[in-house]
Amino acid sequence: MNCKKWESDIALYAGGDLPDGHLQPVEQHLAGCADCRALVEDLRTGQALLAALRDEPLDDAMVARVRYRVLSQVSAPRQVPVYWKLALAAALILAVALAWPRRRQPPKAAPAPRAAAVNLPAAKIVPVRHRVVRHRRRRAPAAQPGPPLLVQFVTDDPNIVIYWLVDPKPQGE
Amino acid sequence: MEPDGIALRMTACSRESSATLPAFEQIVTQCERSVLRVALRLLNHPQDAQDAAQEVFLRLYKHLGRLDDARGYEPWLFRVTVNVCRDILRGRRRSVALEDLTEPPSPEPDAYHGAARAQQLEMLRRGLRCLGEKERAALVLRDMEGLSTREVAGILQCSENTVRTQICTARLKLRDFTSRLSRRRS
Repeated sequence: MNCKKWESDIALYAGGDLPDGHLQPVEQHLAGCADCRALVEDLRTGQALLAALRDEPLDDAMVARVRYRVLSQVSAPRQVPVYWKLALAAALILAVALAWPRRRQPPKAAPAPRAAAVNLPAAKIVPVRHRVVRHRRRRAPAAQPGPPLLVQFVTDDPNIVIYWLVDPKPQGE
Repeated sequence: MEPDGIALRMTACSRESSATLPAFEQIVTQCERSVLRVALRLLNHPQDAQDAAQEVFLRLYKHLGRLDDARGYEPWLFRVTVNVCRDILRGRRRSVALEDLTEPPSPEPDAYHGAARAQQLEMLRRGLRCLGEKERAALVLRDMEGLSTREVAGILQCSENTVRTQICTARLKLRDFTSRLSRRRS
């Protein structure tokens, strides 16, 4: 008997995948063909082995490695893209460059070092706004630099006193 | 997939950003073996299978809030696994010749029983390698994972008839391969 044409249907029949309409002719053929019944048995053995392959234990280390890699990637803080970092750095540089006073105006008259006492809160940092004073370049007679200006910041903590020594540049420089 | 009601738990964790990470962790713990097993059978390479499983879960995390809750996550996970494995196979071109009839390594002697079965399983593993990409995917999902033809069709995004053709071809090829190998051994 030529059973080649039945092979496909038998392969589906063995796994229960044959549509209802095709069942009866296959079963009729199987009833009279020992070779095809053997084929069904072989196919079913293969399926049982495949199902057994599913139950094979996986390497625990492999499973743990996957879990670790996934969770560490997911829970890690997101990386800021490089172009954002560059843009941020450029913006900071620009901001500092604009805010930095180009010329410091020397004090008009400072005969002697003088101290200014300023009370500051202990742990508070107060932003200081620099005022950019721009003045025209003028030719001025060479003047002697004045004495340094001493600014004293007194904090709430008596042990912490901040001195700020400002050395004024001579006019016309 | 292995545990019951996993789709329900997955549903519960979606769209709740504060609870996403612990819930995701739970999903990974519950599904990692299924995903890894399918990837291992499709790729037949442990390192590639680990890479594939990792990629599948990272994609799941990315799409967690956008997946269709009603349909469950199981078909989605399998579909992504098959796609990722396909990409890896195409990228690395690790194909095995159809006529690879080299002798499988002898199994560890396991007292009196188990050795023959271990050899049968090894033959089957080798047989799976000889199948085409689509046939292997269909057979692994249908006969190994026990999904229905309709589910496999949904995962592979093809018709049920196509799945039937693929599993029929795969079963016959596998049977031919194992019987030839058995004859050669005897």
